[in-house]
Amino acid sequence: MDNYGYGNTSYGGSGGGGGGGFMPGETSSPSGGGRNEDRNTTMRPITIKQALDATQPYPEASYQIDSQDVSSVVFVGQVRNISTQATNITYKLDDGTGEIEAKQWVTPDDSMDTTDESVAAGGKDRNGVEINGYAKVFGKLKTMFGDRKIITTHCVRPLTDINEVHFHFIEAAAVHLFFTRGPAPAAGGGGGSSGAKDEAMAGIDGGYGGPTGSGGSGGGNLPAMTPLAKRVYNLLRTEPQTNEGMQAQQIAAKLSVSIGDVARAGDELLNAAVIFSTVDEQTWAILDY
Amino acid sequence: MSLQTPRVLPSHLHAFSPSATSPRSPPPVRLLGTVTALRGDTATISCGTHGEVTLILKPDSHLQNGKLVEVVGKVAEVPEGGLGIRVLATTDWGNPADCDYKIYEKLVEVTHKLKPMFYDSVE
Repeated sequence: MDNYGYGNTSYGGSGGGGGGGFMPGETSSPSGGGRNEDRNTTMRPITIKQALDATQPYPEASYQIDSQDVSSVVFVGQVRNISTQATNITYKLDDGTGEIEAKQWVTPDDSMDTTDESVAAGGKDRNGVEINGYAKVFGKLKTMFGDRKIITTHCVRPLTDINEVHFHFIEAAAVHLFFTRGPAPAAGGGGGSSGAKDEAMAGIDGGYGGPTGSGGSGGGNLPAMTPLAKRVYNLLRTEPQTNEGMQAQQIAAKLSVSIGDVARAGDELLNAAVIFSTVDEQTWAILDY
Repeated sequence: MSLQTPRVLPSHLHAFSPSATSPRSPPPVRLLGTVTALRGDTATISCGTHGEVTLILKPDSHLQNGKLVEVVGKVAEVPEGGLGIRVLATTDWGNPADCDYKIYEKLVEVTHKLKPMFYDSVE
């Protein structure tokens, strides 16, 4: 599976399209940022540069990478410094794309048998992590002291297989491409059968004309688009319809997404000139010739 | 921006050499290879099917023949001619057979195609 199941996760961006003055996905006041975070439990592989470049749409909001809310992240890095204190361990990590600190809070009853001295002497700390060794960090992206970004982590573990380091970056790149250019085309012609298990995924896995089995003849030269735009396009391709096409309302109901999102996806497809509006602005058909 | 060390293959060294026209000194690079020769203050690493690179070692560099190492260093002219790496740090990764160099090649390719994710442009 190419897309790691990111496709059917409800990210903040798809929640509140019609929400007027509210930010996308925010159902309560902006101070309810914590709720947003709890809902999105997807663990996203990133590079440190992506963490440092992450932006907030407004203060206290969730950080965004590639316009997607992120809270839980996983990254790898070479440990440059370990600082053990009574309440936390702070790691400084460098993965070649940037440097960031990761803070692991410890509870007082955890046995603190490792002191700064033993780490400095080249020993390993309580997580088995050593200075200049690689580590994989699972945590959340947070801000401390103004705009300095840190990771609060639940788990730090040493990395001993270099292939895992390389794999992590490639996985992070795959996820980045998923969000910026949409899912990869389904491998081979088997998209239909495997996708049948999950309706929502089928629309994504189908990718370039998977369900018809005819390969990429029609959609092979589709321009880059968001995952939702691709779902709308695939629905328009496969759904039985008159030559007037389908109404945005129908599409929204079929895909169970908000009308605002469908309108945005429609705009994208219209701009890409792969669909055209028929009887009115909100009724679209595939531009096929 | 913070210090970055782009991952490269031997064929990319020229892009990070100090002779490049840019006034700013280019960033250090990261290179992965197997140690094939140790000659006191220089060493040679072999980078998969991409040939060999000469390293100018630091006095406290500890390299072992036959081990896979990740090298962080500045691209520099080497006495033998051509470009090599003046070592800043090395990380020992043990047995080269445990590393699939093809994955590293793909990774380098990806990092250079997806600059915004990995590195600020060298300017």
